[in-house]
Amino acid sequence: MKRRWAFWMIGVLTVVFLSGVALAQEKVVVYTSLETDEVTEYLKLARKELPTLDIHIIRLSTGELGARMLAEKANPQADLIWGWAVTNLEDFVTKGMLEPYKPKGVEKLEKRFVHPDFQYVGIDMYIAAFCVNTKVMKEKGLPMPKGWNDLLDPKFKGLIAMPNPVASGTGFLQVSSILQMYGAKDGKEDGWEFLKKLDKNMGQYIKSGSRPAKMTAAGEFAVGASFDFVVAEQKKQGFPVEFVFPVEGAGYEVEANALLKGGKNVGAAKKFLDWAISDNAMKEYSKFKYGVTLPGIPTRPDLPKLSEIKLYPMDFAWQAKNRDDILKKWETLFLK
Amino acid sequence: MNPPSSSSLPFSRDKMITGIAMVLFLAMLTFFLLYPVVDICRLSFLKEGKLTFENYLTYFTSPRIFRSFTNSLYVSLLTMIITTVTAFFFAYGLTRTTMPGKGVFYTISTLPLIAPTIIQALALILLFGRNGLITRYLLGTDWNIYGATGIIIGECLYCFPNALFILYTTLSAVDTRLDEAAQSLGASALKTFWKVTLPSAKYGIASAAALTFNLTITDFGIPVVIGGNYSVLATEIVSQVFGLQRFDLGATISVILLIPSISAFVINYYLTRKSYALISGQARPFLQPSRPLKKWGFTVYCGLICSCILIVFATVFLGAFVKTWPYDFSLTLKHFDFPSLGAHAPLWTSFWISVLPEGTFRTMIAYKYAPIWTSLLVSIVVAIVGASLTLLAGYIIEKKKPKGEQILYTLSVLPAAIPGVVMGLGYVLAFNKPYFFIYGTIWIIIINIVISNFTLGVLTSIANLKQIDKSIEEAAVSLGSGPVSTFTKVVFPLSRVAFFSTATFFFMRAMTTISAVIFLISATIKLAAIEIIFLDVDGRTASANAMCTVVVAIVVGALLVMRLATGRSALGGMVSSKQPG
Repeated sequence: MKRRWAFWMIGVLTVVFLSGVALAQEKVVVYTSLETDEVTEYLKLARKELPTLDIHIIRLSTGELGARMLAEKANPQADLIWGWAVTNLEDFVTKGMLEPYKPKGVEKLEKRFVHPDFQYVGIDMYIAAFCVNTKVMKEKGLPMPKGWNDLLDPKFKGLIAMPNPVASGTGFLQVSSILQMYGAKDGKEDGWEFLKKLDKNMGQYIKSGSRPAKMTAAGEFAVGASFDFVVAEQKKQGFPVEFVFPVEGAGYEVEANALLKGGKNVGAAKKFLDWAISDNAMKEYSKFKYGVTLPGIPTRPDLPKLSEIKLYPMDFAWQAKNRDDILKKWETLFLK
Repeated sequence: MNPPSSSSLPFSRDKMITGIAMVLFLAMLTFFLLYPVVDICRLSFLKEGKLTFENYLTYFTSPRIFRSFTNSLYVSLLTMIITTVTAFFFAYGLTRTTMPGKGVFYTISTLPLIAPTIIQALALILLFGRNGLITRYLLGTDWNIYGATGIIIGECLYCFPNALFILYTTLSAVDTRLDEAAQSLGASALKTFWKVTLPSAKYGIASAAALTFNLTITDFGIPVVIGGNYSVLATEIVSQVFGLQRFDLGATISVILLIPSISAFVINYYLTRKSYALISGQARPFLQPSRPLKKWGFTVYCGLICSCILIVFATVFLGAFVKTWPYDFSLTLKHFDFPSLGAHAPLWTSFWISVLPEGTFRTMIAYKYAPIWTSLLVSIVVAIVGASLTLLAGYIIEKKKPKGEQILYTLSVLPAAIPGVVMGLGYVLAFNKPYFFIYGTIWIIIINIVISNFTLGVLTSIANLKQIDKSIEEAAVSLGSGPVSTFTKVVFPLSRVAFFSTATFFFMRAMTTISAVIFLISATIKLAAIEIIFLDVDGRTASANAMCTVVVAIVVGALLVMRLATGRSALGGMVSSKQPG
């Protein structure tokens, strides 16, 4: 009886121990902030086209992913970053945490999205958009908002959701575009005053860029500040929602890939990075994203045309430099 | 009794083995418990290598961060009062009345223990959220439960069984004949209650209150889901670290959180000892039939509380199986195809890839279900390792009493005082270095869970070993059995039930714990309970419910297996384990 137990326990422990070791494929650890929905699709293709790679992946919001990599700086657990905000990558370039790598086929990409020293390579862009629940709007008798300014109407009190910029890259680009619009680059405080007014109507700040859209689609809010393709997905699933790109100018962000310094599986990581800008990968991205950095790939048909949207000219260098200060100030002002 | 010559050899060998085991235990607890906590304290007082109070100044002068402290106190105090009062009357009903269905009530009241704490928050949002079934569709109100209200209700539900255990033991141990004597001397029922029943249970009440306070102030799962913009200490630590990369501030808040949680633990510990000193050997279980009003009053009361607990579970289960809560209640299984990235689980993934044909079903089973499989594997190892280690530690403390036994005892009960988030952050700070090869593997998670739950395991085995008569061991030794075989052949078989009950406890904790391991999961190792939070944060509430359902199903399965293996309810064993020696 006792002996049988001992065997059983030793057996289980051995199995657990061994299982950590034996795997024939080349391991690669990928960190990403791309949305879970899209990554699930991209991974299907990646696993098919890179059969020799054993891809381990974790998806965290932009801010949380950054914190994790900084925490692991002395002992990096990841090999590469896939689809992370350029604003945040700029900061990593300064901190010397990236390893320059020129992936195969990089010359085909649009030059302005590639770092001159190949510290990072841009793959796509995404744009801030409101998700408006038409059913809730009708119930509450609300006017269709055209942009940020319309959301200051007291009728919207408690009916708006917005991402928390500390955790979410989408939240950061929204806040940052508002600040830039109101002259924060010239040291003006008007942007903060606007955000304070907006805060009076805010139902909740959410630690995810896509969740405000999902919650709005589910009817929890009238307007959810989010980004382009999440809204399209909600619409596709049959929720009563509409796109609104703020007339004041919609903020956007470029997402890029980079090789992390000190990663343990450099060879496998390079293979993945080559794949991540290949034609097939880009075609897959374009099923979700507005624009990809490989010219000649059409955008998804259910999104409004890019030429119809007024983009706000974002200053990524300024953003990267001021990110910490903006977030600290935002937290002090708006978190309870 | 034996001639000294014959016992001198086994005696010294015995001493040596005990000594070695003792040193190993002390080393283990120092390294995996004290070192991380000390590292946190160190970091909170350092700025660029210099000793400073700057972090504490930042904390207390930044009104927003400081608010998390007052918020935590507010939520914890209210939860403490509500839970203690409701649990007291529940325990009173179970022990002092002749209401029907006591067994059923008791079993239902323990249910919150088998699920991750977030289950309470998920259910409350489905029912009372902005889009809640009750708030929006039955009442048509704009009121919703996010914030302090939600946290308090959720924590009350979660803490209820914990408080009930203590109060139930207290009330069933106090001699009811005192009540009878008071009544026969002419005291009214109410007066008896105030003057006799309540005072005799005062230590139990205070101890239940302190435990509830401790559980609430250290919990992370409920506030993170239902808190909305309302931040408490535990969530503030995580957001400082994850959101702002401020490890120093996270460490500072951890130290601040340690103060109320250790105080509550010490109070609880001290009072529990007192409370058991009051237990009379004369106590007897006989109860006079209660008056009908009392009897049915308590039945309705206990029934109401049990329905609340059942509704939580039913709501989350239902939420996992319906298409779109609360619009479309047609049944579906699609939420169980988790819209998450999943992971590679050791063995599991390669096994399914070799067995199943390529396709979406294989992806689902091999990758998306991997966190569940990893959790199960971790839980099994934690159960075996945790129960064995705590039994051995208890044996050394209770039976061997070597020099320094008091130190080992103190270190063994200390983990219950350290909040999970603090342990998690401590592990990242202390062990995320290239030379700690276990960091980033499944082992760091296993060690963390075993150490975090060491207290209850050790207390159970000590309580159990007290019941084993010393003479049995002496007989074994005098018949020539060495220390090792005495342990394996005599002590272990006699402690089997306690062993299984501790193993079950460790298993449940490993399946459901969130706060510590959220810092330790990685791209390679993901756990089911953490995936629930990720799914919820991602706006996938239905799938979060589904994952929660799977976790509960696994725990229930394990409880059934244990019951079949030992012939008694494992949760029943937990009750006795709440009594320290």
